[in-house]
Amino acid sequence: MKKVQIAALILLAVVAVGFCTLGSESLANLQSYLLGILSPISRSGSAVKSSIGNLGKDLMSLDQLELEYNRLLSENRQLRAENNGLRDLQRDNDHLRQVLGYRERSSFRLIPAAVLGSDSGAWWSTIKISRGSRDGIAPDMPVITDRGLVGKTTAVSNDLSEVMLVTDENCKVAAKVEGTKEQGICAGSRASTGELQLAFLSKLADLQPGQKVYTAGVSGGVFPSGIALGTVKSFHARELDGEAILEPAADLGSLEEVFVVTGAK
Amino acid sequence: MKPSILFILLLLLLPVSVAIQDLLPSLPPSQERIQLLPVLFCFGALALPLVPALYFGLAAGVVQGLALLQSQSGQAELGLCLPILFFLGWAIILQMASEATRGMRWELHSLGSALTTLSLIGGEFLVLCLKRGGLPIDETVMLRIAAPSAAALLISPILYFSLRSLVPFSLDTPTPKKQLSFDR
Repeated sequence: MKKVQIAALILLAVVAVGFCTLGSESLANLQSYLLGILSPISRSGSAVKSSIGNLGKDLMSLDQLELEYNRLLSENRQLRAENNGLRDLQRDNDHLRQVLGYRERSSFRLIPAAVLGSDSGAWWSTIKISRGSRDGIAPDMPVITDRGLVGKTTAVSNDLSEVMLVTDENCKVAAKVEGTKEQGICAGSRASTGELQLAFLSKLADLQPGQKVYTAGVSGGVFPSGIALGTVKSFHARELDGEAILEPAADLGSLEEVFVVTGAK
Repeated sequence: MKPSILFILLLLLLPVSVAIQDLLPSLPPSQERIQLLPVLFCFGALALPLVPALYFGLAAGVVQGLALLQSQSGQAELGLCLPILFFLGWAIILQMASEATRGMRWELHSLGSALTTLSLIGGEFLVLCLKRGGLPIDETVMLRIAAPSAAALLISPILYFSLRSLVPFSLDTPTPKKQLSFDR
C-alpha cells in the first residue's frame, strides 16, 4: 500500500472519530446545514411532483368529461373542458378561503406553511415544511391544520423545518377525553400505521367510539390546551391502566398546508 | 471519467437522493418507504477504488445519520457513530465482493443494495428497541423492513445502468488477474 493511501486512511479514521464525538448541539447545527442544502432540491421536487399530480388530475377529468359527453349529448367537449378548468379553480378557491378563514378565526398566531415531503425513514414519522427560522419558526412549536394537531417542529433551518408528526413514537402529547375526566398520554407507535395510542387512562374508563380527544395543555409543555387530537376508535383495559386507540383528527396522509403556532393572539 | 470526478459527482448525488426519496410516495399496504441512499451508496462502494469508497461510505453515513437525527429535550437520540460504522463496514464488504467477482456487476449491485437496505432498516429498528425499550416485532415491522429492501433490489438496475457510463472503463471490465488489494 502506498504512503499516500495510508495517510488517507489515517485521515479518514480521524474524521470519522471526529463525527462520532460530536455533541447534540453540533449535530443539530449540522442537521440545519443539511436541511439548508436539501431545501432548494425539496422545493423544486415538490413543485414538479405537484405539476405531475395536476397533470394526472387533468387526464382523469378528461376521462370523466368523455363519459359525461356520452351521457349528455347536448353539450360539446370544449365547453366541458373549460367548465372543468373553472371547477378546479373554484375548488382551489374554496380550499384557500377555508384555510384563510381558519387562520383569521383561530385564537393562535399562525404561520402558514406548505408541506414539501415526508421523511423516508422507516421508524420515524416526520414531514418537511416550507418555513424556517427566517419566518420566526423555532424548534418545539406546535403544528396544526384546521382539523386538528399535526405535530411539532424539531429541526429548523433558514427556510425549511422538520415536523415530528403526532403518530411518531417520540411525540408524546398530554390529552383529555371530551365529556369525561379521563386524561392520558397520547403517542404513535414505532412502526406507525397512522393510529394513535392514548395510554394511562383509568382501567374503568367508559369510552365510546367516536368520542373526541383534545390536547390537555400541560404547564410548560409544547402543545396548548383544546386542540383536536383525534377520535376514539376502541378502548381496552390493560393490567395497570386503560388504553384507547385513536384516529387522528388531521388527515396526516395527505397534508398539503399546515400552520405553525407561534403563540397566542 | 476519472475516479476523482466520479467521487465528487456521487457525493453531490447523496443529498439529492435523500431529497428525492422524501418526495416518493409510500408503498402499500403499511406506508413503507423507498430508500435511494443505500442504492446510491452501493454503486459508489462498488465503482470507486477502496480509499475513495471508504470516504464515500463516511459521507453516506453522515448524511443518513443527519437525515434521521431526532432530538429529545436537546439530546440527539441516535448520533452519527453507528451510521458511519455501518456504511464503512458495508463499503469494505462490497469492495471485497467486487474483487471476488472480478469487477463491477449489476447483479452484485442489486444484491448489495437489497442487503444494505435490509440491514440498515433492521439495524435502525434494533437500535431503537435498545434505546427506547421493547421489541414489538409484528407483521407491520417485518413489512417495513422487507418492502424497501425488495424495492431496492428492483430499482437498483435502473440506477446502475444510468450511472454505468460514468464508471472508469478499467473498473467496469472484469479482469482475470485482479487480486484483493488496496491498489485498484
